[in-house]
Amino acid sequence: MNIRKLSLLVLLGSALAIPLAQAQITHVDMRVEGMT
Amino acid sequence: MKQHLGRQSGVQKVEVSLLDGKVDVTPKEDGQIDPVQLLKATYDSGVTVAEMDVTARGKIVKDSSGNFALEVGPSRSFLFAPNELSQGLESIANSQTVVTLRGQLYKKPAGKKKPDTSIPLKLLVLEVQKKE
Repeated sequence: MNIRKLSLLVLLGSALAIPLAQAQITHVDMRVEGMT
Repeated sequence: MKQHLGRQSGVQKVEVSLLDGKVDVTPKEDGQIDPVQLLKATYDSGVTVAEMDVTARGKIVKDSSGNFALEVGPSRSFLFAPNELSQGLESIANSQTVVTLRGQLYKKPAGKKKPDTSIPLKLLVLEVQKKE
């Protein structure tokens, strides 16, 4: 019973965690002035 | 400037092109990169940021005031500067859809050198690259 609950929790946790892990800034580019 | 930016949290790699005044920053996958800190660090290194564009992946969220934003991390989101592209994303707000988009986060106001970091940066969507 406990193992079943634990498995469900792990499954639910990973389903929620994957979209959050995907969310991020992947690239930043800047145009700058005054650089020598 | 390259070393200064490279020391910022969440920065993996910095490439500087002296010829066209472009700086490319590759973030680490830890999601710690902070565009406001990058603006400050660039200014501190003695150059002025004319424009900052980001490519980011995240969910569209709508806050309690009815503003739409791109959530790029558990505690980081960018409010949209409304345009046609951002309005097209409003229908998927608060859903599980993850979008990848490119947008302008900062543009230097005419006549100003120092970025005003007290005002939250707004994301002007330039291109929606992917919806998944």
